Amino acid sequence: MPERFVIPIGPQHPALKEPGHFEFTVDGETVTGASARLGYAHRGIEKATEARTWVQDLYLLERICGICSHVHATAYALGVERLAGVTAPPRAQAIRVLVGEMERVHSHLLWLGVAAHEAGFETLFMYSWRDRETIMDSLEALTGNRVNYSANLLGGVKFDVDTGQADAIRRGIDFLESRTRIYLDLVTTDEVFLRRTRGIGVMTAAQAETLGVVGPTARASGVARDIRVDAAYAAYPDFPVGITLEQTGDLAARFVVRVKELFESYRLIRTVLDGLPAGDLVAKMPRHVPEGETISRVEAPRGELFYFIRSGGRSRPDRVKVRTPTLCNMASVLTLTIGHQLADVPMILVGVDPCFSCNDRTVVIRDAATGQRWTWARLRQHGIEAYR
Amino acid sequence: MNTEAALERATAIVAAWGPAADHPEPARVDVAVARDDLLAAVGALRTASWGYLSAITGLDLPSRGELEVLYHFCEGAAIVTLRVRLPKGDAAIPSICGVIPSASFFERELGEMFGVTVVGTPDAARLFLPDDWPEGVYPLRKDFTPGGAAGGGEPHA
Amino acid sequence: MSAETGEGGRVRLERVWQDALDAVRRWARINSPWAVHFNSGSCNGCDIEILATLAPHYDVERLGITLRGTPRHADVLICTGPVTRQARERLRRVYEQMPEPRFVIAVGSCAISGGAFQGCYNIVGHIDEVIPVDVYVPGCPPRPEAIIDGMVKLLERMKEREAHEH
Repeated sequence: MPERFVIPIGPQHPALKEPGHFEFTVDGETVTGASARLGYAHRGIEKATEARTWVQDLYLLERICGICSHVHATAYALGVERLAGVTAPPRAQAIRVLVGEMERVHSHLLWLGVAAHEAGFETLFMYSWRDRETIMDSLEALTGNRVNYSANLLGGVKFDVDTGQADAIRRGIDFLESRTRIYLDLVTTDEVFLRRTRGIGVMTAAQAETLGVVGPTARASGVARDIRVDAAYAAYPDFPVGITLEQTGDLAARFVVRVKELFESYRLIRTVLDGLPAGDLVAKMPRHVPEGETISRVEAPRGELFYFIRSGGRSRPDRVKVRTPTLCNMASVLTLTIGHQLADVPMILVGVDPCFSCNDRTVVIRDAATGQRWTWARLRQHGIEAYR
Repeated sequence: MNTEAALERATAIVAAWGPAADHPEPARVDVAVARDDLLAAVGALRTASWGYLSAITGLDLPSRGELEVLYHFCEGAAIVTLRVRLPKGDAAIPSICGVIPSASFFERELGEMFGVTVVGTPDAARLFLPDDWPEGVYPLRKDFTPGGAAGGGEPHA
Repeated sequence: MSAETGEGGRVRLERVWQDALDAVRRWARINSPWAVHFNSGSCNGCDIEILATLAPHYDVERLGITLRGTPRHADVLICTGPVTRQARERLRRVYEQMPEPRFVIAVGSCAISGGAFQGCYNIVGHIDEVIPVDVYVPGCPPRPEAIIDGMVKLLERMKEREAHEH
């Protein structure tokens, strides 16, 4: 009877900063089983939306996630506007896209650093997070905050973009684009990096379809899913997005997709700044949101974000359902890790860009024979040393 | 295929089990399906490779004494939602994981939040609610009020 | 240096030597506080700003602060979040694993009062209902400068006096 080790990695993550729970069963070095138990960041937000007014919920929902705050608020605002029969003015929709793409940039750079850290590549973490400060400065100058931009109102946006801000953003994007070329070179040619990512965690297009993955995780397997393209919302019909696809479906592809998407986001930001339509920032919303149901889908940095909103014609929503992209992609991690070495688990997990506050988890690997428990730090170190 | 054509195709696929299709928004079709026909309708969409399961939404309809479960399938911009009404006293529904394995997380969430018994779901363990959450308390049901079971103060007025 | 063996076999030094050793210990702790981070259920906004303080732009390591992987090596616990029910016991355990004297910085509005999530069914609401807190850094999230300011205030506090017994 082979020994089975199940290793726990506690809710306290030095690297990922977020709590959660996976359980991996290990046979020697090979992962033979995986399950997930979330709940450490579960706050009860969907229920809370029913006790707050439509406007208050905007401020609540943009705090589901500190990394993709704007896209949550955008999905909600678009949905409520649709229920109310209101269309935000073109300039507002364009500013929503602008902030959304700037958010994607900060998110992908953040992920690049965290993923590098998981691989033991501290230098890349430091460089990418230093460079990320450029987009943080741009977001702060434009919106007034580094995180939780609160750009949206029901009916439009809160602030305008003037030429000074636009020029500063363009300069920042120029700098980031030159840095991103270095990152692309790195994730496609650095042998040490590729040893930990090439051929690891391979997910075919068919598997991606079956597992229901979304976002860059799906696009890395050649599955062309991108809500900005499939169901263009806000101003995306006027500023079309070129979809980024890779075919190999391994970890390396997931890195390449996100880095290449940065270039597309830089292009979009420039295009929007150059083509900002004139006009108002807000359309008038009725006092009460009429009865009805609507579905709002947007492309968060991690993939499709799905909102179902139901109004009973009252001052508070009847139901706000939020399905975040990480919930879709989490299921794939459980399947992908099976058959892989334990050393690959941290990278496979980070490869789907898990947003823990959108969903939460810890990783647990238990040693059935000795009762020994590993920490996440130990698993991460194990991965780094295995590839040395 | 454009959105309207995709919706028509899906409506035809599930027509045998859901003849009454509702068109609540331009890109959406809602189809009411009986509990016993759910698997057949889901299977038909899968066999025809129409879209992917994007989410499962639970609703509590206290005035009707019913729960409603919505299965949202997306193909491009087109969304087809299969809607199943369940009496609260018999809130059981078959699992669709045999057809769509990735539905597992959605079914777990549905079960713990609404008290729907998803029959045959491969993993019925709690997903989001804490270990010490009381049995039989379903937070997204309308009769549950926060502040009773857990901490937290009053929301801002 | 004269010493005498007191209760429990503990060695008691002459006052002047004891004071000197204490001063060295305090100096070491203040000049190189090791921190451990715990997220008790936040949106992650505060956590990424905490992480940003470690990145080159803010470089909190100039203050000697470094993030450790385990509470057993930490002087300071930096925590965020409104404390979900599931996280509550883990938070307590992380705190208890820290050797004394130990200090706690609560970062963000949620950590202080539950923030935007007051009234949500799955949160406790305040970190200081679970563990004692030395420094509160408000904000949603607070910017890295504010977090560093909180760390500096803690260091100043540590200089002034020993932490209250936990």
